[in-house]
Amino acid sequence: MASSSNIQSRAKRVDKFMAFAISGGGLFMIGAVLAMLLFILKEAAPLFLPPSVRPAPTLQPGSMGGLWLDESGKAAVLVSRETGIRAIRLPEGTPLPTPQGGPELPWRTLTPPNTRGETLVTGADGRIWMARLTWTKPPGENDPSRWELNPQWQGGILLEAAPSRILHARLLEGGGLGSSARLRLAAEVGTSISWLEAPLEAGPAVAWKPLPLPPGNKVSSALWSADGATLTLGTEAGQLLMVEVESGNLLASAEFGEPVNALGAPLGQSSVLVGGTKGRLAAFQRARLGEEFQFRAFHEFPRLSGPVLGFQSSLRDKRFLAWTAREAVVDHLTTERRLMAVSLTGAGSASLAPRGDLILHADELGALHSWTLDAPHPEVSFGLLWGKTQYEGYGKPEYVWQSTGGADDFEPKFSLVPLVFGTLKGTLYAMLFAFPLAVLGALYTSQFATPGLRNVIKPAVEIMAALPSVVLGFLAGLVMAPMLERTAVEVLLYPFCLLLAVAIAAPFWSRLSTPFRNRFGTGRETLWIVPILILAVGMTMFAGPLVERLFMGGNYRTWLQSALGITYDQRNSIVVGFAMGFAVIPIIFTISEDALSSVPRSLTSASLACGASPWQTAWRVVLPTASPGIFSATMVGLGRAIGETMIVLMATGNTPVMDWGPFNGMRTLSANIAVEIPEAPLHGTLYRVLFLAAFLLFLFTFVLNTVAELVRQHLRRRYESI
Amino acid sequence: MTRLAESLRRGGIFVWFAGTSLAFCLAMILGLVGYIAARGLGFFWPSPLVQVKTAEGLVLGEITGHEPAHGEETGKLQFRVGNRDIYGQDFRWVPTVGLGAPAEPKDAVLLERTEYGPFIGRITAISHQGTVAVQGAGALAEAARRLPESRRLLEEVQATEKGKVGELNRRMERLRIDRKGLEAKGDQAAMQALDAQVAALQSTYEALQTTIDQTRTEAKSWVLDLETADGQKKELPLSSVVRIVAANNLSVTDRLGIYLSRMWEFLADDPRESNTEGGIFPAIFGTVMMVLVMSVLVVPLGVVTALYLREYARQGWLVRAVRVAVNNLAGVPSIVFGVFGLGFFVYTLGGGIDRLFFADALPTPTYGTGGIIWASLTLALLTVPVVVVATEEALGAVARSQREASLAMGATKWQTLWNVVLPSAAPGILTGLILAIARGAGEVAPLMLTGVVKLAPSMPLDGTFPFFHFDRKFMHLGFHIYDVGFQSPNSEAAKPMVFMASLLLLAVVVVLNIFALNLRRKLRARLGGSTF
Repeated sequence: MASSSNIQSRAKRVDKFMAFAISGGGLFMIGAVLAMLLFILKEAAPLFLPPSVRPAPTLQPGSMGGLWLDESGKAAVLVSRETGIRAIRLPEGTPLPTPQGGPELPWRTLTPPNTRGETLVTGADGRIWMARLTWTKPPGENDPSRWELNPQWQGGILLEAAPSRILHARLLEGGGLGSSARLRLAAEVGTSISWLEAPLEAGPAVAWKPLPLPPGNKVSSALWSADGATLTLGTEAGQLLMVEVESGNLLASAEFGEPVNALGAPLGQSSVLVGGTKGRLAAFQRARLGEEFQFRAFHEFPRLSGPVLGFQSSLRDKRFLAWTAREAVVDHLTTERRLMAVSLTGAGSASLAPRGDLILHADELGALHSWTLDAPHPEVSFGLLWGKTQYEGYGKPEYVWQSTGGADDFEPKFSLVPLVFGTLKGTLYAMLFAFPLAVLGALYTSQFATPGLRNVIKPAVEIMAALPSVVLGFLAGLVMAPMLERTAVEVLLYPFCLLLAVAIAAPFWSRLSTPFRNRFGTGRETLWIVPILILAVGMTMFAGPLVERLFMGGNYRTWLQSALGITYDQRNSIVVGFAMGFAVIPIIFTISEDALSSVPRSLTSASLACGASPWQTAWRVVLPTASPGIFSATMVGLGRAIGETMIVLMATGNTPVMDWGPFNGMRTLSANIAVEIPEAPLHGTLYRVLFLAAFLLFLFTFVLNTVAELVRQHLRRRYESI
Repeated sequence: MTRLAESLRRGGIFVWFAGTSLAFCLAMILGLVGYIAARGLGFFWPSPLVQVKTAEGLVLGEITGHEPAHGEETGKLQFRVGNRDIYGQDFRWVPTVGLGAPAEPKDAVLLERTEYGPFIGRITAISHQGTVAVQGAGALAEAARRLPESRRLLEEVQATEKGKVGELNRRMERLRIDRKGLEAKGDQAAMQALDAQVAALQSTYEALQTTIDQTRTEAKSWVLDLETADGQKKELPLSSVVRIVAANNLSVTDRLGIYLSRMWEFLADDPRESNTEGGIFPAIFGTVMMVLVMSVLVVPLGVVTALYLREYARQGWLVRAVRVAVNNLAGVPSIVFGVFGLGFFVYTLGGGIDRLFFADALPTPTYGTGGIIWASLTLALLTVPVVVVATEEALGAVARSQREASLAMGATKWQTLWNVVLPSAAPGILTGLILAIARGAGEVAPLMLTGVVKLAPSMPLDGTFPFFHFDRKFMHLGFHIYDVGFQSPNSEAAKPMVFMASLLLLAVVVVLNIFALNLRRKLRARLGGSTF
């Protein structure tokens, strides 16, 4: 008795434990499904988080004329005309060892360092010097006190005449081994704007070359292009002039609308940032629009208060710093997003760290304010993902997907529109092919086929659903695409020939004796059609070349090109539609067939009893009744086509073009993920955008499938009520 | 006319149209499977080497394609001429117009080589260590006689390199990582001991290398003098010949022998020439391992979920919603699972494991990069709905009377489930598993993100402790198809291989599916027939 109760209590304990374990496991699994969605969303979400700005304590290092921040943000270099170069440690402000050397103090002029640390100085003797500020860091050393600041002084250029104001300097790296770097200067000399080019070394006096400008232009600021060939000038009359310096030609001009106060260049230096005296902030570029070049504003940023004093751009992305006497902002060129806006205590100089994550401002009283900016994905905004965006080098706003480029200063283009377009296009072509075939096939199987035939067809089609998509993709890309290229006309003619062949052959059938028909034919028409299929192949092989010769001058590709202006891509939408249709047909077929064959018998019997033919019954009674089921089947099929990866990856050229034409390719969301995510750096912008694409796919298909399921359940209840 | 209108109205012809759609679908399926089978299976059959005389000289090779005259273009024949090292390409299109009479020279041979694809031409002589051994007609026979020995030597070298040298390398790597750890601690004595070990390993390694070099030299001592159809000469060590096929001088049994030997090589050997030649054994093995690990993971997950949903959860709208959600999970694109697998399993979970347990090896990731375990987990998630749905169906089909009988005898709920319900449901669960395997075996997109590679240096299962390496990358049949067909520089030459791989994958998936669907049908019939 005791042992029996022992066994019983043990059984109860096991039972309780298993109940607990299974419930836990089940809930875990359900949680996992939810967690999957949340994880994907979580990885994509930081794209849309607003940037955060944190002020750091104010330091009092004394007055200065310019600032330069190290890559790491741990050290700042202060430059001043009176005291030369000093360095401090951030954020404490403790002084770091001061480098020796450089031109004699005090300097006559000082151009504050740019983001790369290039500083231009006019020494006490009037010679021009350039310092390239660099830190020498022992490998792996993170402590700035063990670093060594090396301002590489070069120059000693002697000028023929002292400029009244240096506008902009551009360092051109030496063209080959041994040739030294050269410097281009733009300056106000006397009353005219002049320029010169000189090697960075002490030599004979260099003469200024005046630029022939339209009269009445008082120039306030200037900017060299990246290669130093052109100079952009901003005037107090509110004009922007782009001059090719060697020839003196005016390449382009534009109205700015208010006096120009400062010019700057974002990373890549292919466009110009312009700041006005009344606070207008815009980016200009010279880009080809149609046949001609246009020089105009292509990005507009929210206005600032007061005259814009200067710009500094990041070396990592297209963000830049602009400041006035009252505020400093960090904006992103491509998205026009304002990443940061802080108020300042007065004019002075400001600096952006090369990574764009630290902003310093030194006011005229010698106080140094700093802010850290955390904006990991400034190049993405909702508008950029879904709207037309004006990119550098493009004449007008466009939808572009181009995530990576050759150069470091590449402007990433993350428009999802071409990808969504490609997805929809691929799906559309697949459905055009699959829907009629699958639904008609299902109608035939459910209404006309004999039970024996049906028992063969259904498993065969279910097997078709299991064909690995990589095999379909391979066949589509390497077999069908070249074949279609040779026989495109024939393939497009085939459906018509087939219908014609059936229409010709069917009447012969009705002449056969009724017993024969009943015994071999009715319900087995499909089998009799096989020879007709082959007959149709013969017809197209005859008709194809004929059509091509008669209507297309013998070669359809040249005809497409000349008559319709369409280029034929080998891996095109027809191939994709065919291959993906192949994958979708069994899905639509199976679900439609289930819906069609479970239409209550009473309905069909009633229709037949009233004298309707079997086809009339099928078309007018069965099909409408089961239409929700067919709708549901179509939704599930759509879901499959939208998410299909391997077929589109292999059967299209994967170019993100936006064109509905059947003879060119596409790039779909799913193929795009497969192509790009292996190379996307972890937690980078591309990585997150691809997660967003995955989330969209998840959402699309989940919604489609849920709708399909609800419709199906509704239909099932309705069948039960009939 | 009225008769036509009447017959159109009654729509007999439309029945034919509907039937045509179906026939077209069926023809597509059969055509596809038949085409793949024909192209794949036909590839291994030694086809004759045809020699034709063109304006540019003699062309010798297998005829692999034919393009009929089309419009103004003349018809063309595609020859596989081989000799990529001499001609630069494997295939040549020859216009059929003005072609001399095709001949099948008896002495033409096709040499399958370890490099540059096949050689097609003649063997003029065979020499040993620089002196000609046999010249003329006998050279071919002599080469065929010498070939097995040469293959054996080479295999010996490869086995040593893969086994012993690989093992040595792994031990050295282990020691290097240990040394890094010790360096950080500053333990001089232990470091010296380690250095001594390294030195010992190094000398073993050098000794091995000497033996390997000797065997190699020996294997290379026999050299074939070859001549192409257009008279270009080439010397080729016998050691780089895999198979000699005197294609035009074979009996049917010879051909069958070559066919089977090629087939065996395909199934059981490693790939050569960036996967375009040789075998696909690692891909088959990788696919099987991945599917096995996936099965081990997916069955408990799926069965427990189904048990919960059907037996334990309180039936209500929540469970219905969950059921819809699980069903819909089956419709979520596989690439989304791949993205999840990459982000969560590989980077988050794998990265975490690396930081905890493999910090010494960082920044080289151990689990923080794609691997067979992550691929299997991802596919398990992908296929879990299949198992859940099948198991639920099976659980629902177990007769109520059976459960009640068990409960009435005093059995607890779990005892009833374990002893009565689950055994009855087992075939249904098995069906689900087979369907899951069939689905998993054919998926490629998620694997591309979570651990599949074009060429894995080592298998996930081998003789080194701990035998199964969850962190290793692996090869996969489906990815092999994609990679060789689309990423390979010489995809035209590799096409037959891809057809064969496709056929294999197709066969596995289709057989599994037929098996599972039959099982399901029988189950349904049995359960439908018996009511208590």
